[in-house]
Parts: sequence; C-alpha cells; structure tokens
Amino acid sequence: MKVDEQIPRNALVWIMLGMAALLAPHLGRLPIWVLVVYIACALWRLQIFRGAWHFPRRLVKLGLIAMAGTGIWLSYGSLLGLEPTVALLLTAYAMKLLELARRQDAYVLLFLGYFICITEFLFTQDLLVVLYSLATVWLVTAALVALHQGVQEHFRFGPLRQSGVMLAQAFPLMLVLFFLFPRIGPLWTVPVKTHAARTGVSDNMSPGSISSLSKSDEVAFRVSFEGEIPPRANLYWRGLVMSRLQQGTWSAFNYYDVPAAERRAAEVATEGEPLRYSVLMMPTQQNWLYSLRYAESSQAGIMQAPDFRLFRPVEIEEQYRYQVRSWPQAALEPVLSDWRRLAELRLPDSENPRTRALALQLREEAGSDAGLVEAVLARFREESFVYTLQPPLLGENATDQFLFETRRGFCEHYASAFVTLMRAGGVPARVVAGYQGGEVNPVNRTVIVHQFDAHAWAEVWLEGEGWRRVDPTAAVSPSRIEQGLEQALAGEGSFLADSPLSPLRYRRVDWINSLRLRYDALTYRWQSWVVGFNSENQLQLLQRYLGELTAQKFVLILLGSGLLVLLPLAAWLLRQRGGATLDGLSREYLAFCAQLARRGVERAPGEGPRDFARRVAAALPAHAEVVAEVTGLYENAQYAASRDSRRDAAQRIRRSRRRLR
Amino acid sequence: MSYAPEQASVANPQGWRARLRGRFQRWVKRRIPPSRSVTLDQKRIFIMPSRVGFFFLLCLAVMLLTAINYENNMSYGLTFLLATLFIVAILHTYANLAGLGVHAVLARAAFPGQQTEFDLRLERGGKRPRFDLRLRWPESSEQRINLADSASEVLRFYLPVGRRGWYHPGRLLIETTYPLGLLRCWTWVDLDLCAVVYPQPLASPELPGQAALAGDGGALPMPGSEDFDGFRDYRGGDSLRHVHWKGLARGQSLQSKLYVAHAERDRWLEWEAFAGLPVEQRLSHLCYWALDFDRRREAFGLRLPGTEIRPDSGDTHRELVLTALALHGVERPA
Repeated sequence: MKVDEQIPRNALVWIMLGMAALLAPHLGRLPIWVLVVYIACALWRLQIFRGAWHFPRRLVKLGLIAMAGTGIWLSYGSLLGLEPTVALLLTAYAMKLLELARRQDAYVLLFLGYFICITEFLFTQDLLVVLYSLATVWLVTAALVALHQGVQEHFRFGPLRQSGVMLAQAFPLMLVLFFLFPRIGPLWTVPVKTHAARTGVSDNMSPGSISSLSKSDEVAFRVSFEGEIPPRANLYWRGLVMSRLQQGTWSAFNYYDVPAAERRAAEVATEGEPLRYSVLMMPTQQNWLYSLRYAESSQAGIMQAPDFRLFRPVEIEEQYRYQVRSWPQAALEPVLSDWRRLAELRLPDSENPRTRALALQLREEAGSDAGLVEAVLARFREESFVYTLQPPLLGENATDQFLFETRRGFCEHYASAFVTLMRAGGVPARVVAGYQGGEVNPVNRTVIVHQFDAHAWAEVWLEGEGWRRVDPTAAVSPSRIEQGLEQALAGEGSFLADSPLSPLRYRRVDWINSLRLRYDALTYRWQSWVVGFNSENQLQLLQRYLGELTAQKFVLILLGSGLLVLLPLAAWLLRQRGGATLDGLSREYLAFCAQLARRGVERAPGEGPRDFARRVAAALPAHAEVVAEVTGLYENAQYAASRDSRRDAAQRIRRSRRRLR
Repeated sequence: MSYAPEQASVANPQGWRARLRGRFQRWVKRRIPPSRSVTLDQKRIFIMPSRVGFFFLLCLAVMLLTAINYENNMSYGLTFLLATLFIVAILHTYANLAGLGVHAVLARAAFPGQQTEFDLRLERGGKRPRFDLRLRWPESSEQRINLADSASEVLRFYLPVGRRGWYHPGRLLIETTYPLGLLRCWTWVDLDLCAVVYPQPLASPELPGQAALAGDGGALPMPGSEDFDGFRDYRGGDSLRHVHWKGLARGQSLQSKLYVAHAERDRWLEWEAFAGLPVEQRLSHLCYWALDFDRRREAFGLRLPGTEIRPDSGDTHRELVLTALALHGVERPA
C-alpha cells in the first residue's frame, strides 16, 4: 500500500465523529445491539490504528455480515420494509469501519454517510432533525476535506472551517434548485414503513383506548381557518364513526360491511357560507381524516363515507394537508334507511341487563326520544359521576358496573354508556371518535390539536332533525369542553403526568409558553412550505413570481441564478490568489530597477542589489549617487524589524527615484 | 506514461492515435510554452471530475431517485445541496492550483544511467494555504506537499537520465483534488530545465599521441614535472598541493605556487587522437581520460572541433570539460 493512499490520522478522527453523529438520530428506532456493533467496530478500528490488531480476514467479515443479517431478521421479523432495510444499512455501515484501510474506502464510507442522512429524512422531516442533519453533513464534509489535507502533526479544525464555507456557498444555489426542480410522482414503488406505530385515534374503542392517547403531548394536526376561528366548544373534529359493539368494543363498519346501496353518503342540503379551513395532519399510518361536521372536500384522493366522515384510501404515511369546507348547521340524514336504523340500534343480547332496564324506564318516563337524551344527560349531571384519567378497571357487564357502581370514567366510558342507553331505549345512536378543542396559537392563528385532545362523544338520530351531536362528557365535566383537558383534570394533577419535561406542562410560565408557541408557528410554516412543498405549491409560486412558465424562462432562470451566485464566489476566491503579494518597499525597488532597465542596465535574475548597484555605477556614472542611496535604503530597510521603518524607507526611495527621470 | 505529453515527436507516425497525441502535444506546447518560472493561471490549468467525482455523481443520482420515489422534500434538499457543493468544489479546486508559482532551481549534471537531482521551488502566492499538491515528472516518483505554513518550499526530484547530451525530463505534472477529491485539477508545465548528461567514461589502454608529447620514452607523464614560475594569491579551485604553506607559516597571505608547463609538454585531450572511432566512443574515451587527469590533479586541455579549452585543473575546469564533451554536437532542446 502506498503511503499516500493511507488515511491520515486527522481524517480518521473526523470520519468517526461523523459516523457517531449519523447514527445518533436513528438510535431510537434501532435494536440496541446495533449500537453495540458500532462501539465494537470503532474500538476494533482504533486498535488497528494503534497497530495492536489486524484488519479482519475475508472469512471473518463474511461471518459478521451473516450474523448482522440474522440479527436484523430476528429483531424485525423480516428483511423487507423500510425499517429493517435501514437497520441493515446502518449495521453494514458500522462494519465498513473494519475495511477502512485506504482512501477509496473512506470515500465509500463518507458518500454512504450522506445517504444515511437521507434515510433519516424518510422517517421524520422535523425542523430540528433537519438542522441536526445539516450539522452532520457538515461533519461528513469536514472528514472529506481532512482526507485531502495530508498528515498533520496536530488535530486541526481547518477542515471544519473549509467545509462550512463551502456548504454556505452551496446553499443559495441549493434553494434555487429546490424550488425549481420539477416534482414528479414516484417512478416505482419503494419499501414502505412497516414498523411505524399507528398514532392517533384507532379504529376501535374500548375502555382505556382514548385515555392512553391523552398521555401524549404530540401534535395530531394543525388547522388554519380562512375566517374567524369558531369557539372551542364547537370544535368537534370527527374522525371515526363507530356503530358496531362487539364484546365491549366499539368499531366502525368496514367498507364491505355496508350493503352496496348504502355505501354512498346521503345528499345533504347545504346552505349559507361554509367554514373554510385547511388541515395539516401528522402521519398516522391510518386512513381517516379529521374534520368538523358536515365536511366536504373537493381535493383529489379524499372520499366521503356514508356516515359523513372523510377518509383517504391510502394510509397517511407522510404529513398530509387537505382543504375542507364545513356546514356545522346542516341536517344530516333526516330520513334514515331501514338498514341504517337497524344497524344503529343493534346491541349484543343479554349483556348489561340493568342498563337495559334503566333505559326502558327512562324512555317511558320521558315520553320522547329527545326526552330520553335529556333524562340521561341530567342523570350524568346530577348524580355523582366523576371525570377522571384514572378510572377503575371494569369486568363483565362493564356498562352496568360503570353506571351503577364505579361511576368514574373518561370520555369513552361516558360515550359508550350513553349510546348503549340510547339504543336500549330504542333511539338510533352511535359513538364518534376524534378530537375536541385545540389550542389557538396567537402567533399565526392556527389551531393546534394535540393527542391529549382525543375525545369520544355520541350522535343520536331524532325524527325530523337527523343526527344530533350529544357529548355526555360535557354534562359531567363542562370544563373539559370549555377549557380543555388540563383544566378538567386540574384537581387530579394527572395531566401529562408521564412527561414531566413537556413544555405544555409549563403553559403558565409566560416565556416558556411564548417560546413554545413561536416554535410551533415556525414548525407550521416549515411543515406547510418546505416539507409539504409539492408540484401544486410549486406551480403557484412560480406563476406568482414569474408569470407564464416556458421552458426557455426556466433554463434562463436556472443559469442566471447559477451565475449570480458563482461569479462573485469565483471573484472572491481568485482575488486572493493574484500572484505573490509584494509590500510597498519591494514595489518601490522593482520600479527603480525598471527605470534603470529603460536606461539600458537590466538587473540579471538573481543579481543582488549591491552587485547591481556596482554595475550601474560603472555604466551610468551620472546616477551613481542616486543608485547608491536607493540601494542603501533598500538594504537597510530589508532588515528593519518594524513596519513603520519599512514604509518610511519606501517613501524615501520614491523621492530619490524622481531624480532619475 | 500515457497521461503526460512527451516530447513532440513525429518519429511514430503510424496510426491515428499517435497523430492525435502529436497534435495534442503541439497544442499543449502552444498553450503552455516552456518557461523557467511559471505562475499557474486559467490558460494552463485543466479541470475534470475525478473518478471519485463520477462515483459521487452516481451516488447523487441514487439519492435523487430516493427523493423522487419517496416524494421527500428534505431528501431533495440534501441532494441539491451536495450537487451545488460539487459545483462550488470546482471553484475551490481550481483556486487551489491557480496562482501557484513554480520556479526551476537547478538540474544537476550526471553520467548516463545515474539518477540526477532536479530542484524546483513552489511559491504559494497569497496567504491562503494550499493542500494536497501532487507533482511528478513522467519518470519520477510522486511528491505530495501542502503549502499551509510556509510560503514557499523547495522540492527535489530524482530522475534517471538517459543518453549523453541534454536530458529533458518532459513536462512536470502538477495536480490536486483538494478540497473534496471530487475534481482533478492539473497542469503540465515545461520548466525549461535540462540536465547535462556526460558521456559514459570508457577506458582505453593508453592516450594516443600523449607518449610522443611526453618526450622521454613512452611512459605516462609524472606529476610535478612543471617548472616553478612564481607565486600568486590563492584562488578557489587551486590545488592544495600548490599552496605555499611555508609562506603561510611565516605569516604571509595564502598564496599558491604557480607552475607553468611548457607548451609542448601540456597535456591535451585531442579529438583527433581517437580518429577512426565512432563519435560516441571517442567522446567516452576523452571523458575517461579527463576524469583520470582530474583524479591525479593534473592540468589538461581539450580540443574538440570548434572548441578549445585551455589546460587547467580543478573542479570548475573539470565541469567545463565534461560539459563540452557532453554537449558536443548536441542542440539544446527547444
């Protein structure tokens, strides 16, 4: 191996730093043993550097690779899908350290590092992650620079500076390309995320499923309204409609559970100006969308279910933005089909006998369906029901137990008990799951809906009115609806009890809250303008600033902006290279020599000033005095330490030189 | 070596490759004329993506495909950042070579088959450090140098010389891939630096004609047979044997004893002495004898067609004689 093909020590340090930085954001998703592999490989490589160990033999390497593959397979259950692929890539990346012998290996390692940055983006494009990745790219580029600085005696930060300068110079053009490059759809299907947790409201509801969501302070979606933001008590974000109760669990109908004739939503008479808003949803790995009732969207790829909710046939794996119009006052399904009526009345036989009896009794006393609704709500309001995040566990005949014994529950308990009572009393009813409320960010007037805003309520069908929203939780705990979960649980102290560091817990500290809201506004802007930038935005943006788009214009802009950025850069880089820099003294002396050359006495290359002076004195005796003076000044000043005396000598040479003319 | 232009030679006219190469070399020569001192500028510098650079572009293509297929904007962003980094690297790599001063210092003379030294000085020019400069002549090994802490640096190359005459090492290749290794920036400069190659010394049993000149019966002349003529101030190159040590001991200045050999007794290396032999062999014999006399510190002169060097001795004289032999009938390469 030639010496100059070896990897300089400094570069090795930078490479290892870069690798550690690349691995860090992935750690949460990886099995812990991958970290162990990293540390082991790094130590091994350090031992090789110290000369203590050797590079592994081919057979050992093959064995390691086979073990890594098996490990991934055991950890993930398959080698397909995005997560196992990335995990395999990262493990192989760690082992590449054991092959890092020559420069070529370093190039492969570093270029692969850039690619690993991209795999991180496939999981999240959060602003902070992107900023972090930018720093990682900086480190990796510094390693690439260090690879070309040769062996240095001390560890230097020069590569970091050089790569930082270059990346900063590359940035403006990157922006131009980012906004101009046409966004075309996927060319082929690629491995998708198979191990990402489904987040948000799930497609079935049993006691405890919503309360577990309430422990999370993650953002579910953000909404920006075109006009006024409705009061928070009206913000019922419908996600799922659950009409089926099986073994104590509510679930929604699947597409094929509904007869063909019922699969289209009934016509809804919409009057007046709708609410217009757009929702920016975080990935859920599910396919329902959240909207206020009654919602319509003309966006391609969004469908409407027969129970008036919106969904997307494709699961939402990336953040997703959609435009919605809502008519909150519109009557839904004033005429109920026979199939629908039966479906919304069905209850499992022989469960919760006391509840059934109570429902029949209340219905008789009330005399009407609407009266039954009022009677049940009054019961919730007046009897000693408690709204709590920590309800006791329920056994068989859960609704009986809840209504007559424990009387402590979260929204899903109340919604479920309410709908059971309605159905038992002969009123079509169903559970609706979604989010209620949201926090208005005063910075950019968006409504931020967190996971802890998850909620379940009920819809009952009343003759002549259609579906009416009823929220039994509001009867028990009005503050949950008016002010949100934090206020409702103020006495209990259980709000976000498991995440002591969540900034949401410190909403009352002004500066933390203002910082959090500002950051959220920034995130919203980032998510909608940068992460969510698509061909539609692109067309709008380009047409707004450039008018009608033509291919010529496109190329011109690309070239023009390229020149605009690169020309000043080239000028700056090359200005500092303009030959040897001479100080004033040498310039004066060279000018003096040039004057004499015009008089026929040329200074030979390498001829010292004193020899030259002697020759000139012989050839041009008339100027001997001036020549001796200038030469003396020059020679003395050359050895003078201070800058001032050199400058002074230069001026005196200039004066003496005039006498030569 | 195929990447460096060799001397433009029409000696190999066969095939379009040779013609193409010849044309290319003439073009390079016009573009970068020989000069003992060169400051690299855009007329002299070439730049192309290196092999690593092409690999990098391939990686970028894969990254772009990932961005397209996952419709992932940050992946687009990173891909474009690296693409523009590549473009910025063109300027930085170019700047690493532009403005570099290359000055020929010296080329030492040598005998055929020996290695000789070529010294040159690199001048950083400006204050910005330069890294990873790689220099080599077609036949030398490569030298890698950073001009980071010092403004100039002298490099010494060892080159195997060829036949008698001028040895021209070809064009000096200066290349760099700094800072990212993605681009290779290079130039070929002809520093107009040639080494003198002496004839290969070739022993002959005796120096023809010398026996007759010696006058007394065939034996080779013995040292110290000159007549003493007087003293003169010591000059560099005077033999230490001729120093007037006694005078020095007496406190006089350093003086040499001066001997004058009579004209008919001077040792002359005569071109005609080896008449009938091929030119190179004649020069080789003359070279041998010149070295022989020099070793014995005897004064000798040289007569070649068109050249005459008066008898003398010392290092300077030897160089003069050997150079005259080396360059007999040889044109300095243009």
